[in-house]
Amino acid sequence: MLMPKRVKYRKQQRGRMKGKALRGAEVTFGEYGLMALEPGWITARQIEAARRTLAREMKRRGKIWIRIFPDKPYTHRPAETRMGKGKGNVEYWVAVVKPGRIMFEVGGLPQEVAVEALRQATYKFSIKTKVVSKFVLGSRENE
Amino acid sequence: MEKMLINAEKRSLFGKKVGALRRQGSVPGIIYGHNAKPIAIQMNARELARFLTKVTSSSIVTVAIDGENHTALIRELQRNFIRNEVIHVDFQEVSLKEKIRTRITVSLTGVAPAVKNFGGIVLHEREWIEVEALPTDLPERITVDLSSLENIGDAIRVSGLNLGDAITIFADPEEVIVSISSASIAAEPEEEAEASESEPEVVEKGKKSEDEE
Repeated sequence: MLMPKRVKYRKQQRGRMKGKALRGAEVTFGEYGLMALEPGWITARQIEAARRTLAREMKRRGKIWIRIFPDKPYTHRPAETRMGKGKGNVEYWVAVVKPGRIMFEVGGLPQEVAVEALRQATYKFSIKTKVVSKFVLGSRENE
Repeated sequence: MEKMLINAEKRSLFGKKVGALRRQGSVPGIIYGHNAKPIAIQMNARELARFLTKVTSSSIVTVAIDGENHTALIRELQRNFIRNEVIHVDFQEVSLKEKIRTRITVSLTGVAPAVKNFGGIVLHEREWIEVEALPTDLPERITVDLSSLENIGDAIRVSGLNLGDAITIFADPEEVIVSISSASIAAEPEEEAEASESEPEVVEKGKKSEDEE
């Protein structure tokens, strides 16, 4: 599963997810992408599950680009512990996603295969998503 | 090149007030350049959406502002990514006698033999090229024929484009426009996923601060 190789600090504060994605909101590498419509934390497990689904649906054709990376540690306190005694242990890693963010891209596939593969991948996420195509000026396929 | 026309009218609402314009079905825009004062304009959203399906970034368009025609290029398009709506358009007024620098869309045509025979994947790596030319010499798009890509790993580079003497290209001649990659790339991350899961290393600065605590 995806996780950073080196980090500056072992644990992080939770932070807030205000606003929309300002970067990574356009399909850049492939032809179709999966866009987040809600803010949320996407776990490394979800990313891996979606990637496997895509790879299976694509039947070893085409190419996948993962546009998010889980670089935020998620800590969890053990069950039945009293308050205090410091912050919990890092359980897993998450990627912070805001509305508009393109999470996955696929390319080199017929439209039906790409859209169906991405649609299957949406079931792996806990947030609302939609399949989008690359925006090209002068093209009718802008959605 | 076919001439495209979009009707617009002068805009009196600026700044945050343009939100009201959008709600009424108009899209704000601006036209500037060629020693002229910028003019804030507004267009009908539906008409603009239809218009944008016909133009490319190098199309010479005519903007009719209250009956007065301006020759221009679409310079920038701002979009709401989530709703996939155009929220603002920049037009750059051009003189047909002066050279301009702009982007031309690169589109692909044909089927590469490498895709047919070896199941390769077409990677369209460069979708536009920056060029300088007279507006009248600008093509709508550059069409690249894929029929010369016979093997996996083959590529068409900027140097392989023949646009004639009237157009100067501003790009590295070695830059790849389109290439054929093997389909096995999709299987690559599978191996990565099996990598052992361990704690990430904490860089020295972080370690020190923890020790101090």
